[in-house]
Amino acid sequence: MTYNVLLTGVGGEGVLMTSVIVARAANIEGYEVRGTQFHGLAQRGGSIPTQIRFGKKIYSPMIPRAQADLILGLEPIEAARACFYASKERTNFIVDTYPVKPVYLNLLGHIYPSNEEIRRMITPFAKKSIFVDASNICEEKFGNPIYGNVMAIGVALSSGMLPLSKKSVMKSIKETVPGRAIKVNMTTFDMGLKFKG
Amino acid sequence: MSDPDVLGKENKKVVLLGNEAIARGALEAGMGLSACYPGTPSSEVGITLSSVAKKQGFYFEWSTNEKVAFEVCAGASYSGVRSLTALKHFGLNVASDSVFPVVFTGVRGGLVIMVADDPLGHSSAQSEQDTRFYARMGKIPTLEPSNVQEAKDFTKLAFDISEKYEIPVILRTTTLVSHSAGTVKLGKIKKPKTKGKFVKDYDRFYNIRPNLQKMHANLIKKLERIENEYEKLNTVEGNGRTGIITSGVSYQYVKELGNLLGVKIGKLSLTHPISRNFVANFIKNLEKVIVVEELEPIVENFVRGVAKDVNPGVEIHGKDILPRVGEYTPDILLEALSPILNIKKPDFSKHEANLKKIKLPVRKPVFCPGCPHRSTFYAVKKVLGENVVWAGDIGCYVLGIFEPFKMQDFVISMGASMGVTHGIKKVSDQKVVVFIGDSTFFHAGMPGLVNIKTHGTKPLVIIMDNGITAMTGHQPHPGSSFTGMGEKRIPMKIEDIVKSFGIKNVRVVNAFNQKELQSVIREFSKQDELGVIISRGLCTLLMKRMVRAKGGQFSTFEIAPGKSHRVSRLVKEFACPAIIKKGDEVYIKEDMCWGCGVCSQLVEKGVIVPRKRRKK
Repeated sequence: MTYNVLLTGVGGEGVLMTSVIVARAANIEGYEVRGTQFHGLAQRGGSIPTQIRFGKKIYSPMIPRAQADLILGLEPIEAARACFYASKERTNFIVDTYPVKPVYLNLLGHIYPSNEEIRRMITPFAKKSIFVDASNICEEKFGNPIYGNVMAIGVALSSGMLPLSKKSVMKSIKETVPGRAIKVNMTTFDMGLKFKG
Repeated sequence: MSDPDVLGKENKKVVLLGNEAIARGALEAGMGLSACYPGTPSSEVGITLSSVAKKQGFYFEWSTNEKVAFEVCAGASYSGVRSLTALKHFGLNVASDSVFPVVFTGVRGGLVIMVADDPLGHSSAQSEQDTRFYARMGKIPTLEPSNVQEAKDFTKLAFDISEKYEIPVILRTTTLVSHSAGTVKLGKIKKPKTKGKFVKDYDRFYNIRPNLQKMHANLIKKLERIENEYEKLNTVEGNGRTGIITSGVSYQYVKELGNLLGVKIGKLSLTHPISRNFVANFIKNLEKVIVVEELEPIVENFVRGVAKDVNPGVEIHGKDILPRVGEYTPDILLEALSPILNIKKPDFSKHEANLKKIKLPVRKPVFCPGCPHRSTFYAVKKVLGENVVWAGDIGCYVLGIFEPFKMQDFVISMGASMGVTHGIKKVSDQKVVVFIGDSTFFHAGMPGLVNIKTHGTKPLVIIMDNGITAMTGHQPHPGSSFTGMGEKRIPMKIEDIVKSFGIKNVRVVNAFNQKELQSVIREFSKQDELGVIISRGLCTLLMKRMVRAKGGQFSTFEIAPGKSHRVSRLVKEFACPAIIKKGDEVYIKEDMCWGCGVCSQLVEKGVIVPRKRRKK
């Protein structure tokens, strides 16, 4: 079995750390892990697609076309941008509905699509999709939308879209996020586990 | 901060980034010194080493540039201490002047040059470049890991080869090795040897003819011995009359094609010198051979040469079916190789049609909220207008190439803004403004400015000093107040350096003060003199991290009620991600505003005001 996760969002949203949480949890379960994690310009508001593949034996760090099992879109248009890797036969989507609008929207007169439009775009590529207000909920509750990421991982687990155990994800969160943020991340992870879409 | 798993126990399986694994490999090799200049996709090697140097007891520095960094490593190595420099492909261009002679003299302690190539230019705007040419030109043995485990193991091996044959060794990666993550089984960390002694050796270091030719002959012999001894690093899998020769991450993409029946795969781990014997044995009974390598057809041409002698009838494919431009993916390989290997390719026509229906707004990288560079660009454009040549350079300010500024008319290489500007000024009467960052100024900008002063052209030079090498992740430079070991030091002042060149018109301005910025730019632009403005303001991302680490809070700004319409022009002109337009309303998003306050200076008083703290 090879399980392919594409995690995407915008620089500054905590995409890299979220991908480390998933990768480390897979490692805790004894899988071989490979993936891509571009560093550099992305922290300045660009798209950050990271990929995590785990299984018994993995070769390419990059997911081949249409072979993602889960697209965890921490930002709606970035989720839609990842459709190259998705297919109706194989791919589940979890989309955080919290938009991070590109600054260029105003400069170039582009229009940001509605959630309905995003849904329409990804439908031909999705076995199933869950739209969750994770960042919004976390912004209201904890003052920072960034905690929505770990809530989204919780949703992925409870919906059966990410075959990792609760225990190993919790261990991974503890090993990955800074000490002061462990408690709130555990809370948001739990909120994700209890989420009913 | 680097991943704590970098220091994990022996035999533990952890997930590391390729570059972190390289750093770990250096620790397992007992490296005593490392000197680097950051350049992505190689930066995390230095970042990781810097963060563990003190604890592990070796020396680390962020040198002024890659040439100096390499020379520091050469000095340590001459004195018997193992050393490593990590740089990107352009960094090797800078260091190469010193690398070639050190290959001739040879080394004592193992010396590893880690070079990350960046096909597709994920983090390199200027050109695509293949380091394997340097390996040939400089006669430097080169190892190419194909995954994260090999990145660690080959680093250690590179030290051993280097020390055994007294020659620098290149560890060449590409972005998809350096910036890929993977499971790594850790080896044992060796206590670093940090003290050595330079022993004079006239025969070795006397590199003037006729000794030079003796050294050259000796070097060629070394390479032959390395080619023979390390042929064993290359591997063969499978059986058949069709063969694939590949290396680096391309090997993983070949494997991703699945179980290829009747296909033999040869993986080169030592890509310079390529073992002639290995290639001859591999191809001698083949009908077809496909060479899969990113960028230039280096292995392919080698294989063609060997085939002439051992199997002239073999059908050879390479760049006739695979691109020479950009980076490979599993899908590019599938597309190119499936007809030859008789692989059934999935039908993606419907997939393609559906993809075409997706229309999304572009997301280009932008200056962070509160970035001092945005403020500087805004002020310069406000005062000088459009009819100016904007000389660009390498750093975060390269983002000034995009809207709404479009103020980087050319971006060549570190420090090149100065020399190119001087050339333009010598042959035209155009107004030219140089934009160069602090780290780039120290790196290679200084000689260019000295040249301008010496030869008498008069551009306006703006040094955008944010106190740190920001784009690669906040490495200190001589103008920063701390070192790569995390120790405090007294920063060098750029204004003192510039004045010491005999330049009279030098002024330091606060990058976050529009009034001051604009008035000094106006004053300098009227003078018929070489002028240097140092626009100083700490990188806001760094400031934010420092404030947060201390548990502090930012003061932020908001738009006064009913004044939204007075701010709407800033949405387009200033392009701060925190200033958001929703319908006809404009507002400042609280969690994105880092309180630089520059926007409040661009509108009438009382329109953008400090935000009142909410009680928690």
